[in-house]
Amino acid sequence: MTPDGIIRFDRVGFRYADSDRQVLRDVTLAVPEGALCLVIGPTGSGKSTLLQLVNGLAPHFTGGELAGTVTVDGRDTRTHPPRDLADLVGVVGQDPAAGFVTGRVDDELAYGMEQLGLSDRVMRTRVEEVIDLLGLDAVRRRSLSELSAGEQQRVAIASVLTSHPRILALDEPTSALDPNGAEEVLAAILRLVHDLGITVLMAEQRLERVIQYADSMVLVGADGTVRLGLPTEILEGSPLAPPIVELGRLAGWNPMPRSIRDARRLVGPMRDRLSAHLSNQLDDPASHASAPVALTTKGLQVRYGAVRALAGVDLTLRAGEVTAVMGRNGSGKSSLLWALQGSGVRTGGTVLIYDTTVYDTAAREATQTAEVRHQRQPGVDPRSLNPEEAIHRVALVPQSPSDLLYLESVGAECRAADSAVGAVAGTAQKLLDRLAPGLSASRHPRDLSEGERLALVLAIQLAGQPRVLLLDEPTRGLDYDAKRRLCEVLNELAARGTAVLLSSHDVEFVARIADRVLVLARGELLTDGPAREVLTASPSFAPQVARILHPLPLLTVDAVRAALAAES
Amino acid sequence: MKSIRPVMPLGFRTAVALVLATVAGILAFTWPLLTGRGSLLEHNASAPVVLGLVLLGVLSVVLIALGEGGIDAKAIAMLGLLAAVGAVLRPLSAGSAGIELVFLFIVLGGRVFGTGFGFALGSITLFASALLTGGLGPWLPFQMLAASWIGMGAGLLPRGLRGRYEIAVLAGYAAVCGFLYGQAMNLSFWPFTLGPGTALSFQAGAPLAENLHRFVIFSITTSLGWDLARACVLAVGIAILGRRMLDALRRTARLAAFAPAAGTGGHNDLLSMSRE
Amino acid sequence: MPGLLAQPATIHPMAWWGWAFGIAIATTRSPGVISTGLLVAALGLVVAVCRGDSPYARAFPAYLALAATIVAIRVVFYILVGIKGGTGSVLPLPRIPMPDWAGGIELLGPVSGSGLMSAVSAGLALAALLLCFGAAIALTDPLRTLRSLPASLHLLGTATVIAMMLAPQLVESWQRVRRAQKLRGQRLRKAHSVSATTTPVLQDALERSLKIAASMDSRGYARSRSGGSGAVLTLMIAALVAAALGTYALMDGTTPRWLSISLLAGGATAAFVGSVVASRRIHATTYRPDPWRMREALIAMSGVGVATLAFVSAAVGSPGTAGWSAAFLLCAAIATVPIPVVMAL
Repeated sequence: MTPDGIIRFDRVGFRYADSDRQVLRDVTLAVPEGALCLVIGPTGSGKSTLLQLVNGLAPHFTGGELAGTVTVDGRDTRTHPPRDLADLVGVVGQDPAAGFVTGRVDDELAYGMEQLGLSDRVMRTRVEEVIDLLGLDAVRRRSLSELSAGEQQRVAIASVLTSHPRILALDEPTSALDPNGAEEVLAAILRLVHDLGITVLMAEQRLERVIQYADSMVLVGADGTVRLGLPTEILEGSPLAPPIVELGRLAGWNPMPRSIRDARRLVGPMRDRLSAHLSNQLDDPASHASAPVALTTKGLQVRYGAVRALAGVDLTLRAGEVTAVMGRNGSGKSSLLWALQGSGVRTGGTVLIYDTTVYDTAAREATQTAEVRHQRQPGVDPRSLNPEEAIHRVALVPQSPSDLLYLESVGAECRAADSAVGAVAGTAQKLLDRLAPGLSASRHPRDLSEGERLALVLAIQLAGQPRVLLLDEPTRGLDYDAKRRLCEVLNELAARGTAVLLSSHDVEFVARIADRVLVLARGELLTDGPAREVLTASPSFAPQVARILHPLPLLTVDAVRAALAAES
Repeated sequence: MKSIRPVMPLGFRTAVALVLATVAGILAFTWPLLTGRGSLLEHNASAPVVLGLVLLGVLSVVLIALGEGGIDAKAIAMLGLLAAVGAVLRPLSAGSAGIELVFLFIVLGGRVFGTGFGFALGSITLFASALLTGGLGPWLPFQMLAASWIGMGAGLLPRGLRGRYEIAVLAGYAAVCGFLYGQAMNLSFWPFTLGPGTALSFQAGAPLAENLHRFVIFSITTSLGWDLARACVLAVGIAILGRRMLDALRRTARLAAFAPAAGTGGHNDLLSMSRE
Repeated sequence: MPGLLAQPATIHPMAWWGWAFGIAIATTRSPGVISTGLLVAALGLVVAVCRGDSPYARAFPAYLALAATIVAIRVVFYILVGIKGGTGSVLPLPRIPMPDWAGGIELLGPVSGSGLMSAVSAGLALAALLLCFGAAIALTDPLRTLRSLPASLHLLGTATVIAMMLAPQLVESWQRVRRAQKLRGQRLRKAHSVSATTTPVLQDALERSLKIAASMDSRGYARSRSGGSGAVLTLMIAALVAAALGTYALMDGTTPRWLSISLLAGGATAAFVGSVVASRRIHATTYRPDPWRMREALIAMSGVGVATLAFVSAAVGSPGTAGWSAAFLLCAAIATVPIPVVMAL
């Protein structure tokens, strides 16, 4: 570690004004110039605070108490508020679109320079430079609200780059993006580091995407302590690890590989061991073909004016099955979920929901006859149900779960949910206690973390015991731990006969949870098959483990572990 | 009890400026009652332009004074947001015949963030909504000033009130404002709506009581219904939404809290929202 | 549809505002229906030829409708409560006296041609004034207008830009939340459901405003600004005192005219100087500022020309007997100067 890095923390501690918790404590570190430094840590551990300390947003903007000193290129952030560091540090927050100050791309790029008082000539030159650097020429005159999420992220980065900062602090720049958008953004960031020598401090949850590019890593602990080191050092003991590292630990690789390429060089012996035994013991995952049908669609179409969102989708969901729908942004995933729920637009085709409660538990095993499979009982069109009836049949958790919350405490939300579905008082609260143990009923729903908020909305939506559960991008903003808990919850629901359909960009999550994967492209159902087949066959949706072990059809580290255990 | 410090605290001179602007504004609004025979505004079709210009100047001057010395980015963003809320509510409520829900958030914003903020919020909301809907006209400076008074007045209501009393007082205040707003707009544009030469027209130099009498009849026959409806809707709106909206605004004000840390120094402590 | 030569995007918005304002002043001096009609025709012609394809360019027809309403209201009021007299009765309506408490006025009464004409004429003058605003709106982009406000008005400018950016997003967010809340399967009473929808929308928006502020702060907002200046505030107070006194003087019949005009002019000067001083101390610059070239000057000058001509003709000669004069024909001609200027682009 160089003692004279461009960013230096000297015994830094930080505490927010209304809380007793020390978010960061006794942090001493130095980030060398020109490095890409990855900041990792569990949700709520103070990653964002660390980034905000670099440009003085903490404490100047957020309030709170700063101990020790933060120096950026020799400027003490205690005496330099964010605006006086604007020419040195560029900060892009978690939701880049929320930080836009103007209406159009080129105005947004110029905003920072206007505040610095640069001349028009300089501004024009720099805008051109940055547009070339980040490939924004096609969108330069567009309105900011028309951009895709990936473009918005690149515009946000470009808009701080025009001030020629030497440091960029990026808070989860790829977590909301689909794999393609994420690739574009990461390529742009790498160009800045390699070609311009900009120091990048980047917080990220999706380690599998970024770990191979990091020069150094900062691990922020839940207790506020911080460790800086080389990626290999940090990853060795880190509780947060992408599949590639978990696989490396399992195999005992040293040094730990960080890219698929490195891992494939090392994986030879393991792959041989696995392939010898896999062929005979690789049974089909629990097949749901005989489970009762929970929902069917025929020729489902959705149009918004002239835009075709879904073009004739035929689909059958079965009780107890977890299905994931994948595809680019705008491929029709949300439209599908909303149309299945019944309150979304549907311009053609049929959707029918069947009551699968009669086949529960014992009944299910006893009556696996042809009649049951062919569903004698009539289905219901969800559109014909009013919202009070629909919640007992099919529940949808939308992309921004907080849209559903309007009361001032978690407890009040749960009580409202009970009375809405006519459940016994305490039903939703009990569900919530299982989903997120220890979540206090008196907390304000707005103060919850993404994971806690998702748990609350799930509890509310599940209080009516729906037989079909639809989730739109449920893993947004969740850390590994929260994703693991969500996995458990969904598996438990499926085991009790709920049909689950979720949309996601998160390949690793889908690999862990889904029995079956659908791929949508431009409103058409491209692929529909068992997760193992679909995910190993696709170049863009293959999880890390499948890429490393190609051509073996194993998706997760757990699957590898199980296969190895069976072998020995 | 947590209370929020005013977001744009008024210095002595800014306060004086607000008072002077109010005096000039009252004159401009009540010109039909005050104009004497032989004055420049008698029989003059240019009165809306001249008075509109004067008010535009007055508003600009006050806004420059309020912005002088820099304003916290949080306050600007909050102003922009609340103005956007008002601007969105305006076309919504125009469908229901001029029942201006736009004042709802001006009252609440002024109440939570104080007098100076309320004044700025009133003007900016009406200005932004006029730009958004293309509803610019000679009436705009009058509307802006009236809305600013409403926001400013909300900031002057007793600070200590909380709970049910607070909602009741705000609802009453909003109702009175909604009614007076209609009357004030009526008054300033009465001569133009009617034109000279009718029995209800204003006559320059006539005794105050006589002009007032004509105005009251004009007002009763034309707009009283709308004004009362507006007053009711605003009161009901505050009763329904007030509690929740106040909580949300105060919560954000606390989130934006800025407890000056030792040594962070600087003048911007003064301008930021923080709790006492 | 854009006009024939849709290139107003390249013209400084203040040029159009100056032009429209000049014509607005002229309309208040217009002696009759025909002269006003000439000005309105000139406005309409310029808008038709020079407007762009922004949504604001379509505002003019709405203003035309509003203008027609104003004329109609004038006529209705004249027929209902107008003081009848004049020559050439066209509609012999009965007089209906009202009770004393209502001021003893009479409803209806015989409608005379000349009375009707003067109602239409006065209504049209007001309508023309309105159309000047409509024309300026149709020819300018409000965001660019905001960009050309002086730096001293940054409070108004910045907040309004943010408001205009957030407004469409609020509508979107409201629709999204409304749809999402149905998913809960709750049947709420009307009042409850309004507040259930409004609360998340507002909370989202409030959190968002903090994010915007953080982004502004970290990108150097208000960086080059020093603390408040006492001189500016003093000038502003002087301007307000002058405005209040000047307004009073305008209305008071006994005050000499020069006094009220010079008070207002003095106030304007103090405000202007204060604004310049305040702007000077803000060192922020503008990206691609709208340049002020010959054509902007010509457009604005044509507005000033129309206003001056209208004033001079009203002061010097008696208005023409036919309700218009050669001066107003000339006014209308000058008002269409932007057409050749824009064509020459």
